Amino acid sequence: MTDKNLRILVVDDFPTMRRIIRSLLRELGFSNVEEAEDGGDALTKLKQSPFELVISDWNMPNVDGLEMLQQIRATEELKKLPVLMVTAEAKKENIIAAAKAGASGYVVKPFTAATLEEKLNKIFA
Amino acid sequence: MRTDMASMGQGVAAVMGANDDVIHRIGNLIRMLRDSMRALGLDKEVEKAAQAIPDARDRLTYIASMTEQAAERSLNAIDRAQPIQNDISARATMLAQRYQTERDDPQLMADVESFLNDLPKMVDSTNRELLEIMMAQDFQDLTGQVIKKMMDVIRGVEFQLLQVVLDNVPQEAAREDYQRRIDELKQMEDSRRESFLHGPQVRSGEADVMDSQSQVDDLLAELGF
Repeated sequence: MTDKNLRILVVDDFPTMRRIIRSLLRELGFSNVEEAEDGGDALTKLKQSPFELVISDWNMPNVDGLEMLQQIRATEELKKLPVLMVTAEAKKENIIAAAKAGASGYVVKPFTAATLEEKLNKIFA
Repeated sequence: MRTDMASMGQGVAAVMGANDDVIHRIGNLIRMLRDSMRALGLDKEVEKAAQAIPDARDRLTYIASMTEQAAERSLNAIDRAQPIQNDISARATMLAQRYQTERDDPQLMADVESFLNDLPKMVDSTNRELLEIMMAQDFQDLTGQVIKKMMDVIRGVEFQLLQVVLDNVPQEAAREDYQRRIDELKQMEDSRRESFLHGPQVRSGEADVMDSQSQVDDLLAELGF
């Protein structure tokens, strides 16, 4: 059983998508959720206080999702943090690049509530 | 009469001659334009701009269909939720009325119990529809990404056109104005690594594109993730 209190950071440059993911998480019982609007903002927040999961978009201004993931994996105190990519990028090369960079899961937009739940369960299994 | 005919004939010949001359001159102009465009490398730029148009058309079609789908999903969910809400309200109103007048009727207790038993299921159904309406709003992100890509294409075309004009405007003042607009366009470019990022797939069935989450899962499983 996943700890419903775990602290989650939702990273997306579209406020609508952050709201959707936040609501879905609340629906699944997770209410300890923070938001960041791009990879740079996320990295700042991750360094300020501890999180147990990051759910991130890829295509964002400043620092994109892949760069953020690479930086997380290269940072000693963050490198084990699970990162679930939720992105519209559906090309084989993108999925392979994310997997190689150490993504903990990959969800293609548009996605369903069931898909998000399944991937979360897989990460915390 | 004969003189009239003759002068008319001469007139026609003069017009024909003028036409030949005009056509010849236009032909020369077109050739000059084509040569100078090629010399400046502008034929390539114009070709690039023209190639952007079918892509823009695909993107607009994607936006139209995504927004339509989202509206339909939301309206359908509302159509399913409304009768449930009406049913809850009608049954509660009816039971409240009977509670005033038939308080001693043993059937009333049974009906209240049955309503209370049904209520969580009905509320769950409405909540599912609300969730559906919420999920339908993901079109804003997906179409937003496509719109941003289109704006980049439009900016690129505008940039090329301004560059063409700038290279061909003799007046200093006008050139400054065009240069200022070009500089503004350059500043609008954002720093995303767009070459690797494709955004939502606006055409289905393209090579190396996963059309569904299960294809993504299969690919990752294949790779050992």
